[in-house]
Amino acid sequence: MEQSFPTMISASQPSLGARLTSPETHGVAQELARLGAGLGLASLYGLALGARSGGIALVQHAVAASAGLAAVAVLGIPALFVLLALVNAPVSPSAMLSAGARSLASAGFVLAGLAPSAALLAVTIESPDAAAFVTRAGLSLAGGIGLFQLTSSVRAMLQDLTPEARLKCNALLFCFSLFAIMLAARVWYALPILKGAA
Amino acid sequence: MNSQVLSVFDELLRSPRAIAERSRAGGDLRPLFVASLAALVLGAGVFGATLATSRGGLQLLYSGVKLPLAMVATMLLVVPAFHAIAAGLGRPLSFSGMIGLTLAAAGRGALVLVALSPLTWLCFDRGLTYHPGVLLAVACYGLAGVAALDLVLKGVGYDVRGFAIVSLFGCVLFITGGQTAWMLRPFLGRPSDVSVPFFRHRESSFWDAVQQSSRSSFGLYKLSESFPDAEGRERSKPGPTMENAYESR
Repeated sequence: MEQSFPTMISASQPSLGARLTSPETHGVAQELARLGAGLGLASLYGLALGARSGGIALVQHAVAASAGLAAVAVLGIPALFVLLALVNAPVSPSAMLSAGARSLASAGFVLAGLAPSAALLAVTIESPDAAAFVTRAGLSLAGGIGLFQLTSSVRAMLQDLTPEARLKCNALLFCFSLFAIMLAARVWYALPILKGAA
Repeated sequence: MNSQVLSVFDELLRSPRAIAERSRAGGDLRPLFVASLAALVLGAGVFGATLATSRGGLQLLYSGVKLPLAMVATMLLVVPAFHAIAAGLGRPLSFSGMIGLTLAAAGRGALVLVALSPLTWLCFDRGLTYHPGVLLAVACYGLAGVAALDLVLKGVGYDVRGFAIVSLFGCVLFITGGQTAWMLRPFLGRPSDVSVPFFRHRESSFWDAVQQSSRSSFGLYKLSESFPDAEGRERSKPGPTMENAYESR
């Protein structure tokens, strides 16, 4: 049974994590800022991975780590909005932007949280295979949390639909999830550490 | 302040829920920080030194210093990940609360290690050898880990989402903690070593060691150092090679 945690954030000023992952919707500018913050935070994970080789690899990894999330934001979320609109789901562009920003910010925040551990592991693990495994695990964890946030937000918008329409929307969400996983994996595969870079 | 710290020691053992709620509520967490850190350093130090009784001498001091170091370093590395995972799964906690919760959990685990130290010492004193000693240490860490994660679970919520957060955090903790401890080894000391090194030179990784141990448990040993002409091949005949005979934890 779900416990309620109404006062998880007891301080008057919510933490960065709470602000980035908050389900509240804001204006377009604020949502874009949230999305940008998520992408920026994701690049910290890339920097940590790049510490394995140093130099230009720092930039390559930072860009590629953010690019996986950016690709889902640019290519995936608008497509999801169009498909949901086709089945008359009650979603608005602003609500989709908010859901997307929240999910990408969550994924980016998790990647940033994993960055210290990733830096230690990337620098100290000798085996390229083990380093690649750890990298994939981190990306999967963050991507999974981001996807969970997105699907939760979208499903919350579908509460009032008929069961038949909700089924269609859930099927679309499932297909979108597969697409998002493949797309992010395709972009993240550009990370040199996943190609066995020492 | 001192009496508050002492009462936190007691609470760490008896009332993990109260500690978890205090961490969630925020406020003045200094007594909790101090007591937890003291428990962590003391507990891990005592247990580290106990592990080294199999070797004795300078290893006692080294392990007594390195085990708390490994635990504190691991905490520093994993707290951001815990904070982010909890926030990402809808249970955001203030960062100071998260530090308090993690530190308290580590302190509780370390107190469990203190409780297990006499038994561990007795086992080594009665002639427990190196490899069973490693297994005993792993079992002790496991028990301490369960006590620590119980406190964390009370902090994030005893439900499906709480379990998911703690499980994911546990994975990060296991990998990061394993590698940190691997870098700071030896804690028991190789029986074959003439002198006692503070750090072992860098070789492979925690992950490689886990893989190698998994293969070894199925009787598959890699032929490399002992048979240089058989690089990369595996044999199924049981028996340690240079590679795993000199492995140290």
